[in-house]
Amino acid sequence: MSDMPDFSNVKSGSSSTATKIYEVKSGDSLSKIAKHEYGDANKWPQIFEANKDILKDPNKIFPGQKLKIPPLA
Amino acid sequence: MKSRLRHFALAAASVVALVACGKKEPPAPPPAPPAPAPAPAPAPAPVGVTLSAVTLGKAVGADKKVTAASETFAKGDTIHASIDTSGAGSATLVARWSYSKDGKTVPVKEDSATITPTGPATSEFHISKPDGWPTGDYQVEILIDGKSAATKAFKVQ
Repeated sequence: MSDMPDFSNVKSGSSSTATKIYEVKSGDSLSKIAKHEYGDANKWPQIFEANKDILKDPNKIFPGQKLKIPPLA
Repeated sequence: MKSRLRHFALAAASVVALVACGKKEPPAPPPAPPAPAPAPAPAPAPVGVTLSAVTLGKAVGADKKVTAASETFAKGDTIHASIDTSGAGSATLVARWSYSKDGKTVPVKEDSATITPTGPATSEFHISKPDGWPTGDYQVEILIDGKSAATKAFKVQ
């Protein structure tokens, strides 16, 4: 196996025309999630708007919360 | 005379009894017709999210579909797998990328996304490698809710 290439630095991502579900991890913020999901941290208000039924404060999200990630308009 | 009358009465009663015995019973009602066979149940509507197609390419548009399908890539390419699904509900898609050489296969990357489509949808997974892909044979397996739904092979040259 030692002659096999190293793939440890492979970067990946995904997106969808459907709403995705993202489970909040420790250390996450809406801007960090927006960066991961949309490639743009400034898109965090879109995630906040889609989750106002469970989020009252954009600065307060908790590990285990399942957030809707709407497709970019 | 009394005796003759008694005999006549007995004889008449016997005739009546014989006629009564010969009377046929009314026919039994015909058996109820068999209940009609139940109509076959309609085919169940497809439930959940099912895979329609997987397409590989170097870029995707806003609709998440590849702009130019390809199964051969260069070392510096970002590789996209565009997945068309039908159905509604919630489903977890997994893209399991792997590399094969000399009969051995090693994992490259595995990524997942939970989607909640309300109808036909397109999702995409992509991978890139900052220092370039080793040349050789690769494949991506797409799973839906843990079940393998499709596999696509591709090459890096």
